[in-house]
Amino acid sequence: MDELELLKKDWKKGEDNYPKLTYNEIYKMILKKSSSIVKWIFIISLLEFAFWTGISFLLKDNKNAKHFDELESDFLLIPFTILGYVVLAYFFYLFYRNYRRISVTDSAKVLMENILKTRRTVKQYVAFNLIFMIASAVIALYIEFSQNEDVISKVELASANGEAFTFYAKIIGLTIVTLGGAILVLLGFYWLIYGILLKRLNNNYRELKKLEV
Amino acid sequence: MDKQLEHSFVEQLEKHQNIVHKVCRLYTNNQEAHNDLFQEITIQLWKAYPKFRGDSKFSTWMYRVGLNTAITLYRKSKRSIKTQEFESIQFKIKSEEYDDTEEQQLKLLYKAVHQLNDIEKALVFLYLEDKNYSEISETLGITEVNARVKMNRVKTKLKTILNP
Repeated sequence: MDELELLKKDWKKGEDNYPKLTYNEIYKMILKKSSSIVKWIFIISLLEFAFWTGISFLLKDNKNAKHFDELESDFLLIPFTILGYVVLAYFFYLFYRNYRRISVTDSAKVLMENILKTRRTVKQYVAFNLIFMIASAVIALYIEFSQNEDVISKVELASANGEAFTFYAKIIGLTIVTLGGAILVLLGFYWLIYGILLKRLNNNYRELKKLEV
Repeated sequence: MDKQLEHSFVEQLEKHQNIVHKVCRLYTNNQEAHNDLFQEITIQLWKAYPKFRGDSKFSTWMYRVGLNTAITLYRKSKRSIKTQEFESIQFKIKSEEYDDTEEQQLKLLYKAVHQLNDIEKALVFLYLEDKNYSEISETLGITEVNARVKMNRVKTKLKTILNP
């Protein structure tokens, strides 16, 4: 006999052997909170939005920002700030729309696609922030070199000694190392969280997609 | 109104609870994990219930939500990974009518099914529940042809696990 037929025969015989939960036991269950990955993804995503919005506020309020205020940098900082908010609003709208589309009554494949789409939105937002961070660093360097009297005189001193290249290299190198370090820590954190949370979902989605080929 | 909704839901779930137990049986390895998954499926069913229109049968709708929870939404707790525990629960269903060889073969079969991946388990489950390929393909979101192809592969895989 076919293996699955044998299994089916036994499967059907087992109908009466399952536990029987009472009405009250089931009723108590519907009062409890879910711990599904969708809930976790939602919480983590909100934290991410909060984190990046918080960071931009922190950066705006510190000594460095005040120092930039003294320099002629409004022509760059204002459009950058506005762009930051517009992008935040756009991604948050996309995220929320995708999140609302997640429905447990869809087919397995559509459900997985919608969950992954929600994640992709947040991932794009984070990528945008990383690029934004790098662009800000480049602009900050540009403003310092072109407008900060202290820096300009240091550059002049260094070039008089024939060390202009070393001076530039030091500052640019330091910026790259700091940014690189921050990005590595963030990526490590992401890899850990989503590696754990989404590994199974990704595997199952791949398995379903494989069937299409 | 809410009370009425709660009542009709719990009553229907109580009647059809075997479907959820069967999903748990395939996707978990011990009693604690079984209860955990049962709980999560119940919550997901309840959350989706207001949108249940009754144009499909309650039981058909349960298959979909149950499998989706097991495959996608449920986070396996650490304790469910200990596979050595599974013999105690999986084989509690024994039939006296079987002779020893058949019983032995069944043990091996259940063990083999547990080694399949989540999607393959879903296919086997729906097959064991007498679902036709059109229902299987709709539940999983794949085409009927692919469902058939995949089912044949699962059969071959089971054969290989049983007769290495």
